[in-house]
Amino acid sequence: MSLARRLRTERAQAILFVAPAVMVLVAVALVPILAALWLSFHRSILLFGERAFVGLDNYALLLRDTRFHAALLRTLYFAAVAVTIELLLALPIALLLHRAMPGRGFLRAAVLIPWAIPTVVSARIWGWLFNPDYGLLPRLLPASDVNWLGTPGYALHAAIVVDVWKTTPFVALLLLAGLQGIPEDLYRAARVDGAGRWTLLTRITLPLLMPAILLALLFRTLDALRVFDAIWVLTEGGPANTTETLSVYAYKTLLRAGNFGYGSAQSVVTFLVVMAVGVIYLRVLGAGREG
Amino acid sequence: MRQPAAPASSASNPRAAGPGGPVWSRLQSCASRALRHQLLRLLLSAALAVAGLEACRRRAPDDADPPAKEAGGDVRVVLAMQPLWGPAEPFRSLLREFERAHPGVAVEVRTLPNASDLTYQAFLTAFGGGAREPDVFVLDVVWLAGFARAGWLESLGDDTLLRGTFLPSAVDAAVWQARTWAIPWFVDVGLLYRRTDLVPDAPATFAELEDSARAAMATRPGLQGFLWQGRQYEGLTCNALEAIWGHGGEGGAPGRLTLNSPEAIAGLTWLRHTVASGLSPPSTTSAAEEEARRGFQQGGAVFMRNWPYAWAQLQAEGSPVRGKVGVSALPTLSGAPGHGALGGWLLGLNPRSLQERREASRALLAHLTSKEAAVVLAVHYARLPAREDAYSDPRVTGAVPFLASLKPLVSAARARPVTPYYSLLADAVQGSFSSAVTGVAAPREALDEGQRLADALMGAPP
Repeated sequence: MSLARRLRTERAQAILFVAPAVMVLVAVALVPILAALWLSFHRSILLFGERAFVGLDNYALLLRDTRFHAALLRTLYFAAVAVTIELLLALPIALLLHRAMPGRGFLRAAVLIPWAIPTVVSARIWGWLFNPDYGLLPRLLPASDVNWLGTPGYALHAAIVVDVWKTTPFVALLLLAGLQGIPEDLYRAARVDGAGRWTLLTRITLPLLMPAILLALLFRTLDALRVFDAIWVLTEGGPANTTETLSVYAYKTLLRAGNFGYGSAQSVVTFLVVMAVGVIYLRVLGAGREG
Repeated sequence: MRQPAAPASSASNPRAAGPGGPVWSRLQSCASRALRHQLLRLLLSAALAVAGLEACRRRAPDDADPPAKEAGGDVRVVLAMQPLWGPAEPFRSLLREFERAHPGVAVEVRTLPNASDLTYQAFLTAFGGGAREPDVFVLDVVWLAGFARAGWLESLGDDTLLRGTFLPSAVDAAVWQARTWAIPWFVDVGLLYRRTDLVPDAPATFAELEDSARAAMATRPGLQGFLWQGRQYEGLTCNALEAIWGHGGEGGAPGRLTLNSPEAIAGLTWLRHTVASGLSPPSTTSAAEEEARRGFQQGGAVFMRNWPYAWAQLQAEGSPVRGKVGVSALPTLSGAPGHGALGGWLLGLNPRSLQERREASRALLAHLTSKEAAVVLAVHYARLPAREDAYSDPRVTGAVPFLASLKPLVSAARARPVTPYYSLLADAVQGSFSSAVTGVAAPREALDEGQRLADALMGAPP
């Protein structure tokens, strides 16, 4: 059998093997996205039995819709602040959990508890904690008469607190996995060379942890940009729409108002924003791998 | 020069080992192993959660559907409703009674989600897809016009069909464009609760409410004045409309929603004032019904706006305010009894339901909206009757005198605007009301913005 021919059959086999996975992906990911895109070119309001092709009208409306602009900026702010805090908190936690110490297994499991609790449940719990009349937090904090979930400016930060509490363990877990991938010999050799703790951290740990950090950032940023459940349970986007993110606005437009065309346009833009950020991260990750 | 021993070189230049090298792949496999664990864990917890929900659902007392008599019944009628929360038996026997009176007909109850939003979505997708079932279904008063316009409700007759038998406010909610589209099943109305030990006489005006609340607050530090529902949701719309009506506002001409009238501005200014001046606590802007009810029940407030459901809990054994609660009409500017917002549910027929089920469906609708059914719902499930005659029935006056006493208040209730645009508008209206009560914008600006959005939505050709 010639080499070329063998390669051809191998290729055919490979295609055969990946075909089921590709078909599933097409069915559950690509088709819905294309359907949403198609729907976004229509004026479609189910209650009115309307379905008319309007081209880019919905997108033109998005450009003029100040509520949408505010939601977009708010979502980016939410993602940037939440992910930054999560990373800054998760790194020390991961370093701590990486050290050999008694009860490490237990601690590792315990840290994961917030992540294991369904978001809706944890958001409900936090809703109680923030309650101004009988919640715990307003009593602990200095400005005790502030109603966190009912005051514009505070409510979004309350949602950030909930998100940080919930997903820091996930980031810590990813970083821990990265730490475990760093060979111990490097540290030993560096210590032989007289490197101090700080040098070890900045010259070995952090550079070698970079791929894990970027991976964690990628996952978390994409998640945070689509944030819905925590905010929905805490405030439903209120007060005065000041916690309304892209997903919350799209959900309200689609399923509460039944405005499928405009809601789909919002979903498509949300998808594009998330994709764009994802692509940027992957570029950086890829560059890191080659470098 | 030759490189020194490898480990040292790696240490001084960690990148030599390279994130692209074995470390990266190890990291990847590590990470993906960790992720796989995460996924498994998530799937497991999701499965548990679903199982848990399923168990809860099964345990819901009235969820025990009457067994579908596949063998006995020639005709099956599907009734979609939300859980009634109460003993299962009275409602079940109501259905059995119907089946006895209509041999060959079996009723199948399909339980809807207990959240109005989710039920709405379920209908939106089912009827939008042309579903033939359910045959008879419940709908929130604010969905009627939209469903009627979409062709999802069978017209039952002209607008005189229910007049005289049902409360006028409930009839208003069932009529759109001079046709009756559904029959009111039970209703709800906004009420003013007060602590009779602190304020013996019900206030008639907003000023009286504020004065008597402040007088009580002055004697008891920590006491709150007036609790209401200010979270950005449909409850806020009801509270705001009541305040607007209390200042003499109307809903606007048919086909147009007027939000920025002087009366509306006055209404929202009053609501903002209650929060800004400390008459209502800061928690008001995130409170729904239960938050308010709990605060009031703990004895923490003088007044509360809420629905009738709160009464039974406030007067329950062990409640700190038991025996110290009075109910009256909402206050107004003029002192005339105010109009509470009308809530509640209607029963309608699916126009696409199968021909052979039509007759039985109509009969079931009539049976469930009969006086007998209204009495069962009032006595066993504390639902306010939509029918006039149920209020004077001795079983109602005997078993639930509180509900019977609400008749004048329910009669004065007002429906929220009956328009097919309601679900489209609700969101814009809530945002604008929320801006006003939280002080993000002055009431006039917030309402102007809401008006602009409403006009943009309704101005478009339907």
